[in-house]
Amino acid sequence: MRGLLPFLIVGVTSGSLYGLAGVGLVLSYRTSGVFNFAHGAIAAAAAYIFFDLHVTHGVAWPLAALVAVPLFGVISGLVMEQVTRRLVGAPEAVVIVATLGLLLGIDGYLFVQFGSASRAFPDFLPTSGITLSGVQVSYAKMVSIAIGGASVAGLYAFLRMSRLGVAMRAVVDDPRLLGLTGMPPVRVRTVAWMVGCTFAALSGILLAPTLGLDALLLTMLVVQAFGATAVGRFSNLPLTYAGGLGIGIVASLTTKYVSDKPSLSGLPISVPFIVLVVVLLAVPVRKLPSSKLALRGLVARRRTLPMPVQAPLLLAGAAGLVMLPHIVGSKLPVWIGTMIMVTIFASLALLVWTSGQISLCQISFAAFGATTLSRLTNGAGLPWGVALLLTGVLTVPLGAIVAIPAIRLSGLYLALTTFGFAVVMQNVVYGSELMFGRTVHATVERPQFWFLDARDDVQFYYVVLAVAVATCLTLALVNRSRLGRLLRGLAESPTMLVTNGLNTNTLRLIVFCISAFFSGLAGGLMVTQTSALTADTFQPFQSLLWLAVLAICGTRLLGSSVLAAGLLTLAPAYVSGFSAEQQTLAFGLSAVVASIVVANTGRLSDFFRRVAADAAGRRRRSPVGARRETVPDMAVSHP
Amino acid sequence: MTGLPDTSAPSGLAVADLTVSYGGNVAVEGVSFSAPVGVITGLIGPNGAGKTTTFNVCSGLLRPVSGSVTLLGTDVTAKNPAVRARLGLGRTFQRMELCHALTVRENIALGRESRVAGGGVLRQIFATPEQRRVVAEATDDALESCDLGGLSDRLVGTLSTGQRRLVELARVLAGGYRLLLLDEPSSGLDDEETHRFGEILKDVVATRGLGILLVEHDMALVMDVCQFLYVLDFGRLIFSGTPAETRASDLVRRAYLGEIDLVETGA
Repeated sequence: MRGLLPFLIVGVTSGSLYGLAGVGLVLSYRTSGVFNFAHGAIAAAAAYIFFDLHVTHGVAWPLAALVAVPLFGVISGLVMEQVTRRLVGAPEAVVIVATLGLLLGIDGYLFVQFGSASRAFPDFLPTSGITLSGVQVSYAKMVSIAIGGASVAGLYAFLRMSRLGVAMRAVVDDPRLLGLTGMPPVRVRTVAWMVGCTFAALSGILLAPTLGLDALLLTMLVVQAFGATAVGRFSNLPLTYAGGLGIGIVASLTTKYVSDKPSLSGLPISVPFIVLVVVLLAVPVRKLPSSKLALRGLVARRRTLPMPVQAPLLLAGAAGLVMLPHIVGSKLPVWIGTMIMVTIFASLALLVWTSGQISLCQISFAAFGATTLSRLTNGAGLPWGVALLLTGVLTVPLGAIVAIPAIRLSGLYLALTTFGFAVVMQNVVYGSELMFGRTVHATVERPQFWFLDARDDVQFYYVVLAVAVATCLTLALVNRSRLGRLLRGLAESPTMLVTNGLNTNTLRLIVFCISAFFSGLAGGLMVTQTSALTADTFQPFQSLLWLAVLAICGTRLLGSSVLAAGLLTLAPAYVSGFSAEQQTLAFGLSAVVASIVVANTGRLSDFFRRVAADAAGRRRRSPVGARRETVPDMAVSHP
Repeated sequence: MTGLPDTSAPSGLAVADLTVSYGGNVAVEGVSFSAPVGVITGLIGPNGAGKTTTFNVCSGLLRPVSGSVTLLGTDVTAKNPAVRARLGLGRTFQRMELCHALTVRENIALGRESRVAGGGVLRQIFATPEQRRVVAEATDDALESCDLGGLSDRLVGTLSTGQRRLVELARVLAGGYRLLLLDEPSSGLDDEETHRFGEILKDVVATRGLGILLVEHDMALVMDVCQFLYVLDFGRLIFSGTPAETRASDLVRRAYLGEIDLVETGA
């Protein structure tokens, strides 16, 4: 027991803060209907504000804390309300992209402003303390535990005693009650966002002293709150706090048990995600709060240009792609990267836009593809071409595994599960012999066969181009086939497909397998391009960036994929001074704007239609003139 | 109860002694009825009587506590919705399940295409020319039955509620089912549209020889199209009979009291 106590104390300390963050997340999610992926980024931002004021500018820590927690919390709460109010009625994927965009935007800003290197964070609370049965417990830890507990208790009292609190509790219980509480919905939501963001900020500055000041780490760690929210089934506040405590303790104890097993060193940090995935897979779906958000088909319709226009354009495009190595010169490696990303984005667009499934784990497929190709060529000695194809095939089972949650879950829960999957893959599976192994890198030599010597970039470009074109052609075919029609149906109305006799589980399995196949291929190409890659290239964070960039480029299957690939790889290469950090910032904010635009397109076009109808009506002196365009003998109804 | 049709006939949908509960609340208790092929059977009752619950059990979206559902002579109580559909049961939804990004024609075709694709991996990916022909014919046929030909290339998102109700009906017709469950198909329609909808229903039953089980609030429509009615109240079957008998029943009138005056609307 003596040996366990220090771990227990560390666990309770961090767990209390995870619980605090989790409670804030649930409160804002239930009142607004928007699950805030940027919750952790807000915590990170608060820590940076505190650091900047206290360390860089020498402000006394209580004042710095006052600015970084309540003031920043209230301001970000107001911003969140303004952003999410504009997402009402949007499909779930769009809402998810919006808060992911905020996450990227905030983190990108922090990278740009403070650099991405980790820094020491001052212990602003006293590190001296008391000795508890031989174990030193610092006042800082006790204060953290007390603040976490007291804040949640305070919120609990507020929710029980004040009128606004009771209204908020009703809404947390059942969002449909918002209209019945007699409180202005905007006020209830705004206050909930403020409290939620303040809790995030508080957990951020209290976690930072032990973790160090690192935007990505802080973002990801408060994402641990996801696990806590899952324990509270996304609606129960005390259970969420208890879940946070439990996760903190289990993670800390795991640290002790894996301390002599280096291959499992990633396990403790994955505990919250394992909890998240297990809860989402084990709890009956009807016990999870269902989303109010409507399903809506997102994939844009294929527009074909007339043949006389299309044919020359296609020819010119093809000629351009073939001649490209002679045009772009030393930038060729960038263009090779673009072609690889086309395959990745197309595999993602098929899932997200065509079939309405959300995946935040494409990076895991790509990473698995990279290591598998490395094994097949170096280990098994297969020729590169055969190995690449086999790599795609071997990635398919991974897609099938991800399809299991997709069969039960959709929207937000699927996004969380796939993200959890990606994090667990990174922390537990990347380091195993199955993937990168202890050396944490994969190597593949450029292929040479027959006439082809792909050690030369120009020749390798043609290989990659061929794969990208083959991917696009295959997906174009899929889109036009029965599968494409069924997938578009799945995006909007799976119930309808089921009641018409379709087994939608099979359909989901098929689409995830196809997507995994192409992502696996792309992963193989990525490692072949540079000959060697480390596991760090395949951070789950990348998956978030990919989805955001894809969303910026519209909701077409192929057009958006090509555009997204270009935007992601070419922009930093051709725009000078556009660093990866600035890119993250710019893409994040653009994703927020893009989702707001998508969420409101219906409303915009309705507005224009109304304007047009009014104008037409005035001309024809008939108020319903513009609307009379229906089945014969059947009046239009106005529900 | 009078005039109860023979429930043992294997020609339609038969529900026997059905009980459904949500948690501890019993929503439907001991309900039995049948909807034979070739006629329109109505299932009516005030709000909260358990109509939609009964419907969801019939199509397999809900599992009953006890009781059985027999479809065309096969016991389907333990079967999932997709299997029931492939056996010949189609349904529409009160809250319409349409794909707004697809055209009217594509929406209608999805009904048959889903049924043809079923559960097979290859069948879901490729359509044989023969299957494509079957789907196209069924779609054309349904478009014509519902008089939607002029709208076939419009996006469903741009249609009125009345037109969407017809698209839902057309989709379930294209499915080629023997039995249709229609869940409040006239809600959101005005009188004229409802009347037209009723005419189409009578027409498809006469020409295609299928059976319809209709849950409906609009008494004028029910009295007009149904050959036989079952009345639910508080989860129990309180009456069954022809529309004329139902109209004359004091029991039914009491269940509806304050909601609808059957005598006047039915006239």
